[in-house]
Amino acid sequence: MKHRNYFLYRKKTTNVIMMSLTVIAALAAVIPLFLIFYYTLSKGIAYLNLNFFIAMPKPVGEPGGGMANAIVGTLILIGIGGAIGIPVGIMTGTYLSEFGKNKFGFMVRFLTDVLSGVPSIVVGVVAYTMVVIPMKHFSALAGGIALGILMIPTITRTTEEMIKLVPHSLREAGLALGIPKWKTTIAIVLRTAWKGIATGVLLGLSRAAGETAPLLFTALGNRFWSTKIMQPIASLTVYIYDYSKSPFEDWNQQAWTAALVLIILISVLSLLFRFVTRSKYKSD
Amino acid sequence: MNIFYRLSLLIPLFSLLTHAQVQLVGTGATFPAVIYSKWFDEYRNTTGIQINYQPIGSGGGIRQIIEGTVDFGASDGPMTDRQLSDAKSKQGTGILHIPTVMGAVVVCYHIPGLGKGLNLDSRALSDIYIGRITMWDDPYIKNLNPESNLPHRAVLVAHRSDGSGTTFIFTDYLSKISSEWASKIGRGTSVNWPVGLGGKGNDGVAGLVKQTEGSVGYVELAYAIKNNIPYADIKNQSGYFIEPTFSSVSAAAMAASVNMPSDLRVSITDPPGKGSYPISGFTWLLVYQNMKNETKAKALVNFLKWAMSRGQALAAGLYYVPLPASIIKLCNNKINLITANGKKIK
Repeated sequence: MKHRNYFLYRKKTTNVIMMSLTVIAALAAVIPLFLIFYYTLSKGIAYLNLNFFIAMPKPVGEPGGGMANAIVGTLILIGIGGAIGIPVGIMTGTYLSEFGKNKFGFMVRFLTDVLSGVPSIVVGVVAYTMVVIPMKHFSALAGGIALGILMIPTITRTTEEMIKLVPHSLREAGLALGIPKWKTTIAIVLRTAWKGIATGVLLGLSRAAGETAPLLFTALGNRFWSTKIMQPIASLTVYIYDYSKSPFEDWNQQAWTAALVLIILISVLSLLFRFVTRSKYKSD
Repeated sequence: MNIFYRLSLLIPLFSLLTHAQVQLVGTGATFPAVIYSKWFDEYRNTTGIQINYQPIGSGGGIRQIIEGTVDFGASDGPMTDRQLSDAKSKQGTGILHIPTVMGAVVVCYHIPGLGKGLNLDSRALSDIYIGRITMWDDPYIKNLNPESNLPHRAVLVAHRSDGSGTTFIFTDYLSKISSEWASKIGRGTSVNWPVGLGGKGNDGVAGLVKQTEGSVGYVELAYAIKNNIPYADIKNQSGYFIEPTFSSVSAAAMAASVNMPSDLRVSITDPPGKGSYPISGFTWLLVYQNMKNETKAKALVNFLKWAMSRGQALAAGLYYVPLPASIIKLCNNKINLITANGKKIK
């Protein structure tokens, strides 16, 4: 009897040790996020008021001023990026999972992985050469295209993985009822995997919203109010980049607030997505 | 299709309408970005014309004006002959250099027990940056500062790690006063530094110097003032130790304006004159001599004239040195050369 107790005891201790190690690891993964949030909040809260959301930037030395143009600009940029990146990403992911079990599929999968490793500034330079130089103009469109390209790999890979999780029996049921494969894919497979795909889309959009490098030579930035897609447009990240380097305390402060607003913006976007996807599947 | 309906609620956010208006776009140097943003804001308030300036760096500004993706560029270093001919062949028009304001590059330091007023001369500077002077109590520096109590501490050299107009002005000065520097290292927006630590941007170098005891670095005047870092008086050509101030930088420009080349591409480092601070420079707007869009040309010319008169008064408050009257006159002559489709602008 004593012998068995000893093994039980050892099992339990190992369990507790391993358990606490994983808890520590989980905490270590979350702590940086809270530190970032806490630091941005404590530094940026000073300028966070309604004015920041509805007023235009002021030059150095004049108190107040906001970043209304940059907030709308960031939304427009990820809107254009999404209009390009989301359909391409979802369709590529669907193709890879449903039809891509061949050489071409392998190649596309490999290239998508390569694309996700390409530094964002390189994508910016590509958009600059392909869009800005021929059009002779910096534009929101060029920035959106750069962001769209950046979204594609994230969305493609999540879509593919999510669709793979859809049970085969569902596909077989559809086909058994005589529904053609393309219709099964759209009406059954994509619908079932929708929640997961939305998460991928959200990841893609959040990544794009936080990018500075690909915007510097495409969307450029704008000190004035502009929502035209053929004109340079402001973005929060470019403002953060410019203002944080300034010798003037006032602008440094606003850079912190802009960072805070960007975090809030992405959180709101995330909540919105949760809301959209959850209500559709109330019955789950 | 419920979800698309919900998402469609976002569309009004994206389609906010704006009034049609001329907007000029320019990019370039980061150094004058603060005064430019002030100018363009003031100018918009008085005239309604929007000029959008984005500080992407001097090199970027030159590149964009050659490619024709902007209405004007800006740079702290003048364009080279090669770049000018490139622009001419690509855009079919010459490019004018219009000085807007001046800036001083100051040598800031962090020596325990020593406040303002370290004296340095050209040889001390080049020896420090070449790595020959390694201690603050080096006999040569002691000789320049007989009254200061210099500690026996290593000199830690800080410089820019990124390409910059500030580096151009500083190395241009060192190249003029030291033949060794000119042949071994030379001038440029970024050079191969023999010694020292790199900091990114003026703020990076200022931060390094502020945090590190025994360090020395070069930054734009505004960054030294704003960060409360002491900076050195530099011995000029006439043998006087000069503190970088608005009047000593202005004096340098006036001394240089006597032999101003007609295209205004001039370096004013190491100038003659008793009161001239030796390490300063212009920052230029780069504009096409002949513009294709008449409305834009008119707006740009009017702005430039405004910048030469009302605009100059705003410079000092933001730690930029206004142009002396003699230079403004030369600038106005240049501005009058701008045409739209070959026609003069009234």
